[in-house]
Parts: sequence; structure tokens; C-alpha cells
Amino acid sequence: MSDAPVLVVGAGPAGLGAALALAQAGVPVVLTEQRDAIGGAIHRQPASPQVPKVLRPARHARSFAMLAAGLAAAGGRIDLRTSTVFLGLDGADNALIDDRRRQRVEALSPAGIILATGAVEKVHPFPGWELPGVMTAGGAQVLLKETGRAPDGPVLVAGSGPLLLAVAAQLAAAGNPPVAVLERGRPWRRPTALAAMLASPANVAEGVGYAARLLRHGVPYVTGAAVTAVRTQGDDLDVMVRHGAAERTYRVRHLLVHDGLRAGASTGITETRDGPVPVLLAGDGREILGADAAVADGRRAAAEMLALLGRGAASAGDEQTLGAARRFQAALARLCEAPPPSPPPETLVCRCEGLRVADLDHLRPDASMRELRLVGRFGMGPCQGRFCGASVAALRPDADPSLKASAVPRWPVRPVSLASLAGFGDPAARTNPRIHQDTEDR
Amino acid sequence: MHSRSSPHVVVVGAGIVGAAAAFFLEAAGARVTLVEAEAPAAGATGASDGAVSVASKRPGPMMALALEARAFYRELAARGVLEGLFHPRSTFLLARGDEEASLLERHGADLAAAGERVVARSAVDLRRLLPGLGASVTAGIEVPDDGHAIGYEITARFLARSRPALRRATPVRALKLRGDRVAGVVTAQGEIAADRVIVAAGIGSAVLIGLGDVLVPRKGQMAVTDRAQPSGPAIGGHLMAATYLAAKRGISLDKPHIGLVIDPLVTGQFLIGGSREENRSDRRTDAATIAAILREALDFYPPLAGRRVIRTFAGIRTACRDGLPIVGPHPAVDGLVVATGFEGDGICLGPLMGACAARLALGEAPATDVSVLSPRRFAVREVAQ
Ligand SMILES: Cc1cc2nc3c(=O)[nH]c(=O)nc-3n(C[C@H](O)[C@H](O)[C@H](O)COP(=O)(O)OP(=O)(O)OC[C@H]3O[C@@H](n4cnc5c(N)ncnc54)[C@H](O)[C@@H]3O)c2cc1C
Ligand SMILES: Cc1cc2nc3c(=O)[nH]c(=O)nc-3n(C[C@H](O)[C@H](O)[C@H](O)COP(=O)(O)OP(=O)(O)OC[C@H]3O[C@@H](n4cnc5c(N)ncnc54)[C@H](O)[C@@H]3O)c2cc1C
Repeated sequence: MSDAPVLVVGAGPAGLGAALALAQAGVPVVLTEQRDAIGGAIHRQPASPQVPKVLRPARHARSFAMLAAGLAAAGGRIDLRTSTVFLGLDGADNALIDDRRRQRVEALSPAGIILATGAVEKVHPFPGWELPGVMTAGGAQVLLKETGRAPDGPVLVAGSGPLLLAVAAQLAAAGNPPVAVLERGRPWRRPTALAAMLASPANVAEGVGYAARLLRHGVPYVTGAAVTAVRTQGDDLDVMVRHGAAERTYRVRHLLVHDGLRAGASTGITETRDGPVPVLLAGDGREILGADAAVADGRRAAAEMLALLGRGAASAGDEQTLGAARRFQAALARLCEAPPPSPPPETLVCRCEGLRVADLDHLRPDASMRELRLVGRFGMGPCQGRFCGASVAALRPDADPSLKASAVPRWPVRPVSLASLAGFGDPAARTNPRIHQDTEDR
Repeated sequence: MHSRSSPHVVVVGAGIVGAAAAFFLEAAGARVTLVEAEAPAAGATGASDGAVSVASKRPGPMMALALEARAFYRELAARGVLEGLFHPRSTFLLARGDEEASLLERHGADLAAAGERVVARSAVDLRRLLPGLGASVTAGIEVPDDGHAIGYEITARFLARSRPALRRATPVRALKLRGDRVAGVVTAQGEIAADRVIVAAGIGSAVLIGLGDVLVPRKGQMAVTDRAQPSGPAIGGHLMAATYLAAKRGISLDKPHIGLVIDPLVTGQFLIGGSREENRSDRRTDAATIAAILREALDFYPPLAGRRVIRTFAGIRTACRDGLPIVGPHPAVDGLVVATGFEGDGICLGPLMGACAARLALGEAPATDVSVLSPRRFAVREVAQ
């Protein structure tokens, strides 16, 4: 039994749940978080104490308070490193981390790794999604949580899934109720899915709360409506919407889009149990199960890791919570199920490389994923396909994914300062003062 | 365009060499099946830099071949086949200190003797031509007529312009022989009959052609940065350390050796490489080697400190023990042509060597004399069948 720590990546609910469970079992933990504060997507912390609180159910605040208290109580067992980005595992089985404050890339040799890096927001491309004024609903929510500022002017919220409701209600509470919420699906036509959700009363109550807030502000919730294109109109946007057979145009300042969450895309690293360093996934990054289940899933991953390392038994008794969350998410997915309109040729697909649907159409119809990437350059920019990979896969459903871009695990999973990386293992250990770059991961 | 009587040629391997061979075979009227273990450019071709460079070659046959191969790129670009994919640019060979400067002087003389244009550059000249160049660079030579091409783009273009029958995910396990003649290939998915076979399978050629252990894998690691500018090369040429030449001129070390190149891509990004790791055929990259490469790169060109690394990758060069590629008819099997062992030069040599292999497979003499590359220089061991 070694004393090597377990590396937990991501200090959202799942990572915190995992770190606390490991610490409780007496295992030292290094917890890295790329942001400068813990919390993850749901508990994003305000940038200053003056920032007004965002509307959210009390249970989320309680849950976060418990995790934060647990972290404080764990003291030295959990070595929390914020502003520290996990870059992946290299060919020498080093876990590489990028300490952006000290501008240093270091290697850890952990006993095991739990990746709790969260989900990536889905956005189905349509012409104009890349224009200024269009942003993801999640991105707008982050801004709201950190700065208290809602996007100004008339706002339209569109796409699919429950986050639309949450963000719209939060905007309303922050003083700028959206013009409308457009849901592509038709939830009212799926009574069995609606009924299945009642098994998770806390989530339903949360949804009802948001809906009530929207009702109070007179914000219409339109179902079966999809954005087909956006154009700039001076400082405004003209958003073309198809609703059944009807077309209509909304003139707004901001369009917030969101089509659900996607697991796994955040690092592209898969689970391995039999390698020299076992890697497990937890939380949204493994499976979209929601905030409450993310904590439980972190505990579950910790228990499995302890078992793999021979330091404990495998079960933590969270299966029930996870099962219920899974059923709820499945019902949600059925509720809002609606294929997006297929994007016309001029639609941008890969933002980093400026590639459109037409560029994809020019590639051989029998091309494998590898060729779409290498030859077509889809996913070759800084995001390395984290954002566009799924769109490409959806547009080319027959492309052989087994012939993907790389047979070996790739690093860095996030762009890293060349100067910081050059300092890795440098005998002269110089730090380079010339570095200037943002710390955002996009 | 081809008739029933036109020969059916199986080309094993859809790297740059196999794809070029397929293109020129089709152009000559043959029917072609290109059989690839994974996908086009899955080998070295898709994991390499793309210097189409005479500047970097060893004097002798390699320098002479590179001159012809680079001219062939220009010709194919002008003919439209490779239009837009060959990017002319200078190579700057850079010295740090007197010892390296004298190596460059010797190399410059060798290049000039082979007919290449060479311009000696003082440290002052270099700083004017390449603002930001590191203080440790003391001298250099500029080779103005070199160029760049991306291996997988060239491969894709050849395949798009010829459209041979392409069999992806079909590893060839053995050759099918009838007496002393090749009759086809054996794959996991069955046999494919052929009148002629070209083996252009990179390091995968070794087990098929039975020449013993003449081929050695030599791994190379590289890093790719984000864009320094929206498009166009960010500096006025390809930077190559004199120590890279030392490596090419036959200095071999046990520890990963770094021959530094900094390649400004047309996308505005930099490609920085590379290590030469003998007998390594895994495709993983490690932080220690990449960092060592980047430290060298920063020493040559400090403004790279402001860039971000977005990707690292490793490719496997197929090196031949005597330092020359293997191109020519197999010494023991009729109808079989071998084209492999291009080490770190196959993007430059690939189109020309593919064209030569195609001619040889059709029983014609290639336009370039490649007899020095013939596999007949090795004793035959056992051909996999
Ligand atoms: C944009 C968005 C908005 C959401 N809004 C709601 C909502 O309103 N209501 C609701 O119930 N649920 C919401 N969810 C879902 C809910 O947040 C998740 O179910 C829950 O937060 C998942 O927790 P997690 O720990 O798995 O991931 P996250 O909370 O996403 O935490 C992942 C953490 O990992 C960090 N990280 C990622 N990559 C790296 C790396 N390479 N190195 C270091 N750190 C890294 C991230 O910065 C983040 O802090 C939202 C999710 C998203 C993505
Ligand atoms: C890091 C690095 C940098 C480089 N930089 C340069 C440079 O700047 N300039 C330059 O000129 N060259 C460079 N090279 C060298 C160049 O990449 C190679 O020489 C060239 O790509 C070789 O092409 P090829 O077609 O012979 O082989 P490969 O590209 O390796 O193609 C062989 C193909 O055969 C397939 N295959 C293998 N076995 C079988 C089988 N049994 N059945 C079916 N298919 C099979 C493989 O999957 C592969 O697709 C570099 C190489 C590396 C690794």
C-alpha cells in the first residue's frame, strides 16, 4: 500500500464528493480545479461579495455549504489546488497539471485518478450561431452567477432541455425577463414522461418554481419552436424561428442557446481500470445525472477507486440515488426529444477553424472520422473537437468512429502556455516572465 | 479509361507513397486497389512535419533525389494535381557557436556543389529577416528554394484525383505467391488477387517483404501551437538547427535526440519538433521530451513563449539500416515492388517515389534513376506468405 495521493480533477459536486469520501477513508487527495474557486457549474461563486445572489432552490445552497464545510474539515488530507488545469496523462504515465498562477507544468504520480470535469453544453449549429450576441445559456448563467449581470436588452432563450427554464427564470429574477423561451420539444405531448418525473419531487419542484417565476413575468414558454437562422441587424439580432408550419422573426439583443448537456467530451479520456494508473470518471463527465446525483456519483467513484487500490470495499450505498437520477434524466430526455433542423451548407460547424457544413460535404462520403479531422481540419483548432466533435459526428453518422483521429491518449487536453510547458523538468528551472495569456479554457 | 486487359495492381499502404503510386498507376491505365490497415495517412504521413527540403539532406544520393522530388512537387502543383498544396518558402539552417557554424559552412558548400541556391547569412542579416530570433544564434545559411506540404493533404489529393478502390481497416497479413510470382495479398477479410503488388506500408512493410531486420522504427515527437496570426506563415521561413543536420549526417545517440525544427504553417500556427528515438514504435508523447524540444525552440525563437501548445503527437519514421530508402523490384519475387524506408524524408520524396514505384510495377523504367535504392542490395530472408 503506497501513500501516493489520488488525483481528483474538478471541484464541482462530483469532484468534491469524491475527494471527501477518499479523505474520510484516510487517503490523501490532490484536488485540482481550473477555475479560481470550487463549486463547478452549479455552484459557481460570485466574483465579489457585492454580487447579488442568483435565484436557485435552497437545497442547492445547502448541498454546497455541506461540501465546503467538509472540505474545510478535511484539512491537510485534501490538497486543493485552484487555477490548476489537468492536462492529461503522458506517455510516461505522468499526470500533468498546469499551475497557471505559478506558470508551471508539473507531473504527479498519483495512485489513481478520478476525472470529475463536468459536461459540455450541446449547441446544434444553425446559420449565425457564431455571431456576437449569441451565447450559450450556460455561459450566460455563469456570467450571471459570477457578476450578477444579466445580458442587456431583449433576450430570447431557445433550444431544448430544462436549463432553458432555469436560466430564463434566473434572468427574470435578475431584472431582465426574456422575450420568450423556445423549447424545440413538445413536453405536453409526452404525458408518460411527465408522470415518470414525479418520482423526483425535488427536481419537479425546482422546475415548477422556475415556471411560476416565468408566468409571473409573463414570459411565454413556446414548445415545438426551433431557431432556423440568425442575422445581425445593427446592434440587434433577427432570429428566424419555425413553429410548426409558421415562421416568425424575433428582433432581440441577445440569443441564448442550449440543447442539453453532453458527457465525456470535456477531456476525451476514457476509464481504465487495469493500467498502471487507474482512471475513473465521475459526475456529469461520466453520465448526465444532475447536481444531486453528481455528489453521490463522486462518492461511488471514490469507493470504486478505494477497492481498486485495495484500500476499501466497493459499495457506498449510492446506487439508489443514482438509479433514481438516471430514471429522471431518461424521462427528461424523452420529454424534450426533438431532432434539430438539419443545418444548411453555410452553417458554421467548427468555430476554431472556421469550417462550415459545405466544407464537410466536400469530403469523401466514405471518409472515416480520422480523415474528417486530418483532411477536413474539423476539430484541429484549440478546442481539439471538444465543442464541434459531436456536430461533426451527427452530420456524418456513417463515418467510422473506430478510425478516429488518434489511437493513443492525447495531451494536453486543454491548451497550455508553451513557456510553462517548456519549463517542465527543466534542470535550470527558470520561470519565464514573458507570459501573458488568458486563463479561460476557450 | 482502363480496359479488361489492364493489369490489376494492389498497393499495400495508403500513406503518401502508396497514394501517389495509386494515382500514377491509374493515370497509366492500371486498375488499382489500395489496401490500408487503418485509414489513409494513418502512419507516418499523418503524424509528421512536411518539409519539402533539399537543405536538410545528406550529400550524395539523398540530396540528388530531394532536388528531383522537390522539382516534381513544383511540376505537380503547376499541372493542377497538387495545386494549392505546395508552399514555397526558405529554409534557414541556424548555428549556435563556431563548431556548428563550420558544419553549416561545409553543408552549404555541399548544397552548392549539388546545384542548390545557398545564401550565407550573418547574425545581423538573420535578425533582420527573422525578427525575434534568439541571441544564441550566431550564423546561418538560407536555402531559398525549399517548400512545405502537409502529408495527409497530399495523400487526400492523390486519392481524390484518382479514386482507386480503397479498402480501409484491411491489414494485409501476407503476400500470395504462385511460384516466384506474386498473385495477390492475403487480408483478414480474405484474399485479393492481383497481377502486381506494391508494398508501401511504412514500418508495416518489414514483415511482408522478408528482407530481415533492415527496417528500424524511429519515433519522433512534435508539438503544435495555436495561431500567432489568423493566416499565413508567422515568420519568413522554416528554422532548422545545425544539430538537426548533425543527426541527419549520421550521429546516433541512445537518449532521445532532438533535431530542432520550427515550422511556420500557412494556418499561422507553428509546428515544432522533433525527437529521434531509435527503436521506439509507440505513438505516445511524454512531457519530458516535448519540454526539451520546446526549450530548444525558445532558445532559437523566444517569441514562441507567447504561444499555447494545443496538441502533441508522435509519428514513426521507417529507417533503413544503411540510411537509404528501399525502392525497387523485389529480389526474389516477380511482380512485387517495394517502396519504404523513407525515414524523415518521405513527405519530400513521396510523390516522386510513388511515381517511380508505379512505373516499376508496370515493368517500365522510372523517369528518375532509383537503382541505388534497389532492395537487391539486401539478402532475401523469408517472404511472408
Ligand atoms: C453550463 C451548465 C449549467 C447548469 N445549470 C444547472 C442548473 O441551473 N440547475 C441544475 O440542477 N443543474 C445544472 N447543471 C447541471 C449540474 O451543474 C451538474 O449536474 C453538476 O454540476 C455536475 O457536477 P460535476 O461535478 O459533475 O461537474 P461540474 O459542476 O461541471 O464541475 C466540473 C469542474 O471541473 C473543472 N474542470 C473541468 N476540466 C478541468 C481540467 N482539465 N482541469 C481542472 N479542472 C477542470 C471545471 O472548472 C468545474 O469546476 C448545469 C450544467 C452546466 C454545464
Ligand atoms: C515526426 C516526424 C516528422 C517528419 N517530418 C518530415 C518532414 O519534414 N519532411 C519529410 O519529407 N518527411 C518527414 N517525415 C517523414 C515522413 O512522414 C515519412 O517518411 C512518410 O510519411 C512515409 O510515408 P509512407 O507512405 O512510406 O509511410 P506511412 O505514412 O507510414 O504509410 C504506411 C501506411 O501503410 C499502412 N500499413 C502498414 N502495414 C500495413 C499492412 N500490413 N497492411 C495494410 N496497410 C498497412 C499504415 O497504416 C500506413 O497508413 C517525418 C516523420 C515523422 C515521424
